[in-house]
Amino acid sequence: MWLEEALPAHSPRPEVMIENSIPVLECLDIEKSFGATSVLKRARLTVKTGEIHALLGGNGAGKSTLIRIVSGSIPADGGSVRVAGATDFQQSSIAVVFQELALLPHLTVAENIDLPNRKNGFAPAGGRKPYEAAFNALSQIDGVLAGTVLGTLVADLDLHQRQLVEIARALASGARLILLDEPTANLTFGESERLFAIMRRLARSGISLVIVSHRMNEIRAIADVCTILRDGKTVVDRKPMASIDDEQIVEAMGQKQLTEAEQAKAGPTASRRPAQRVTNATRLALAHGAIRVAAASGDILGLAGAPAGPGTLLDHLTGVRPSSEWEIMRDGRPLRFASPSQAVRAGIGYVTGDRANKGILSSLPILDNIVAATRVARRRLFASAEEVGAASRSLDRLSIKASSIDAMPSSLSGGTQQKLLLARWLDDLPDILVLEEPTRGVDIGTKRDIYDIVRQAAASGAIVVWWSTEFAELAAVCNSVISFDLSGRPVEVLEEGYITEVTLAKATGMAA
Amino acid sequence: MSVLNKNGQNREANVSDIVAAHHSGTAARPALRAGPLVRGFKTYRTEIAIAVAIILIEVVVSLWIPQALSLGNVANVAQAAAPLVIMSLGVLLVVITGGIDLSVGSIFSLTGMVTGLAMSSGGMDWPAACLLGLGVGLAVGAVNGALVTFVGLAPFVVTLITYAVAGSLSFVITNGQSIAILNGDFWLLNSGSIVPGIVNYLFYSIVFIAIAELALRRLVLGRWVYAVGSNDRAARLLGIPVNGVRFSVYVFSGLLASFSSLISLSYISNAETTAGANLMLQAIAACVIGGASLFGGTGSAIGAMLGAVMITVIQNGVNLIGINSFWQGSVTGLVILVAVLVDRVAKVRS
Repeated sequence: MWLEEALPAHSPRPEVMIENSIPVLECLDIEKSFGATSVLKRARLTVKTGEIHALLGGNGAGKSTLIRIVSGSIPADGGSVRVAGATDFQQSSIAVVFQELALLPHLTVAENIDLPNRKNGFAPAGGRKPYEAAFNALSQIDGVLAGTVLGTLVADLDLHQRQLVEIARALASGARLILLDEPTANLTFGESERLFAIMRRLARSGISLVIVSHRMNEIRAIADVCTILRDGKTVVDRKPMASIDDEQIVEAMGQKQLTEAEQAKAGPTASRRPAQRVTNATRLALAHGAIRVAAASGDILGLAGAPAGPGTLLDHLTGVRPSSEWEIMRDGRPLRFASPSQAVRAGIGYVTGDRANKGILSSLPILDNIVAATRVARRRLFASAEEVGAASRSLDRLSIKASSIDAMPSSLSGGTQQKLLLARWLDDLPDILVLEEPTRGVDIGTKRDIYDIVRQAAASGAIVVWWSTEFAELAAVCNSVISFDLSGRPVEVLEEGYITEVTLAKATGMAA
Repeated sequence: MSVLNKNGQNREANVSDIVAAHHSGTAARPALRAGPLVRGFKTYRTEIAIAVAIILIEVVVSLWIPQALSLGNVANVAQAAAPLVIMSLGVLLVVITGGIDLSVGSIFSLTGMVTGLAMSSGGMDWPAACLLGLGVGLAVGAVNGALVTFVGLAPFVVTLITYAVAGSLSFVITNGQSIAILNGDFWLLNSGSIVPGIVNYLFYSIVFIAIAELALRRLVLGRWVYAVGSNDRAARLLGIPVNGVRFSVYVFSGLLASFSSLISLSYISNAETTAGANLMLQAIAACVIGGASLFGGTGSAIGAMLGAVMITVIQNGVNLIGINSFWQGSVTGLVILVAVLVDRVAKVRS
């Protein structure tokens, strides 16, 4: 498989050496409940010096809670956390890099790295020393970055650079253990690769790293050992990656017994070409210079590549920002919208993987979240009783377990929230369903559910446009894929039968 | 070579390139920062633009009324601007943390009434009466700070409450009467000279601006203020004393509003129940003109000072030209609009 060539498995140091090194972190029998819900029951996590440790588990297994306890942001109800053998440890020896980065956007990179080390408010903030401290920390990670961005405001950095700044800050504050919560969720393939190289270098210098990820390929490429949580219990404790295979991992996590690879084989046959059955079929023709693609009802058109290219096309389709480069015809008429609401009314549905910022309406109950799109599409002025019925049907169809339709979305796990976003469009299926990384940060079981839902939507007559950074996913679900190069230009259209992780990697140039 | 540039170019460059570049010295230690002149110009771009705008306004006004640029009128403007400048600095601190202080105008009024009453009916010496007046700002500021920081109420709501209460108290304590100040030496607070050769109101303004500017830019404390406004959750995680910072900015804002009231009172010699009515909006406007964002995280002391001076210069100009003073608010509003539009366009461009 291509991925194994491109991501040479992190050659684990001789096991004996890791096993004999001192545990930098020991969590024993951690218990934690929120109200009546018990989230962690005797969870254990032991991390040794200089190792890269994968912390795995499905959505809701308790990974985030465990991380928050280790980082000291919430207390445990029971059990003990020891760092280098001691229960009274400096909190600064452990640092967490959350997905939602804890940076100060209006301050410079140097200040972000150095400010946490300043305890005396009346001391001068500027000068050479803080700059040098910041430079030293950041150059351990990336020499070029350290030489160029110290005086830049964090707001002006891209996401990958911000992540590196946060890791530098952890190093500057003396962290010996860094926990990374889904660090690659928003990164491109190349950026993830660079991050992994940096992680390996840090591990060699004796820093321990814990990584949470849902991507099996990545875990294989980067981790030495893994710990797996399931329903708040540690079901696999410190197992070397070499002695556990993918199926065992998936099984331990309690996911449906089907790996992504198998599913890729099993998936397509069922519902790839139902277009013939659909009456009133929509036809879509996309053109960008020499690249021309046609899609009809029932097709799933994939977009592969760095965000720039697919982003432009998605923005055009959803009415966020029309693009002058794309010429898109729908049933022979040009498709171009002045606003997202116009697009929605014209039968374009949009689902994002960026739930917090572009998806969930967090202060409105589940009901309003589901009917939000229909209300726009049908120009409803008043909330109606029939909406309740429609919303309940959608929840049932997706087997979303919510305590009530009036509950807040925050009461659902991340993966379920993602299904909620899809539910928006199912009762009144749009002609074109635009998906922007819809499986970002969801576990393998939920991913499978999402694949099924989307295939059904296509089978019922929608054209699905799907952007994903996971090539395995595109290979599994798409009829054709437009690949974009790194500058955002479409370069090639891959047709069914030729869509594999290898061809996608070559076509997008993201194998670097 | 910018391997990680924002446009996504050169993404194919890999880690070994970076490391190699680092070791070969091409990337090692370029100048860590630009030269001081360039840096100064970049840092103070907004401030320089406002200063130029102020000079332009003055020049345009002087085309009509030549004495606009006379020493006497400039001194007038400085005298009129001093209380607003000082009040704006306090409001600025709150605005940088992402809050707002609507109570400063009422603090200004109440301080005047309390101080006036202490001197006239209370028969106090003026320094003692002034300390009492500062107590008003301290008390209201502390209430604001405590409710925002420790109770967690929204700054807008909290300071709306203290605005209403302090505003009404300034009527209550004298039953709505204004107080004439007859104390012989009180004028010295504003127009005397602590430092020979510099009149006091100018001296206070300069000292406060210098302290605020240096503290905000050069002290860890000042960077904490920006940190709280930039992302308070992150700031808390980093161990920055968010509560202390937030509480303090409201106290400082109250104290500075009281102090600005005292120097104004010392000049006018008459305590009015509604003396500060217009000042709250002007102080917030001064911060915004000076580049502060009401979302927090940005703003500068020199910017706020220049914003306050600009508002005063416009009022002065409108007066000199002889436009009905009812138009002042409209003109000021337009200027704020232009200022934020220019700022917005500059941001979009960059």
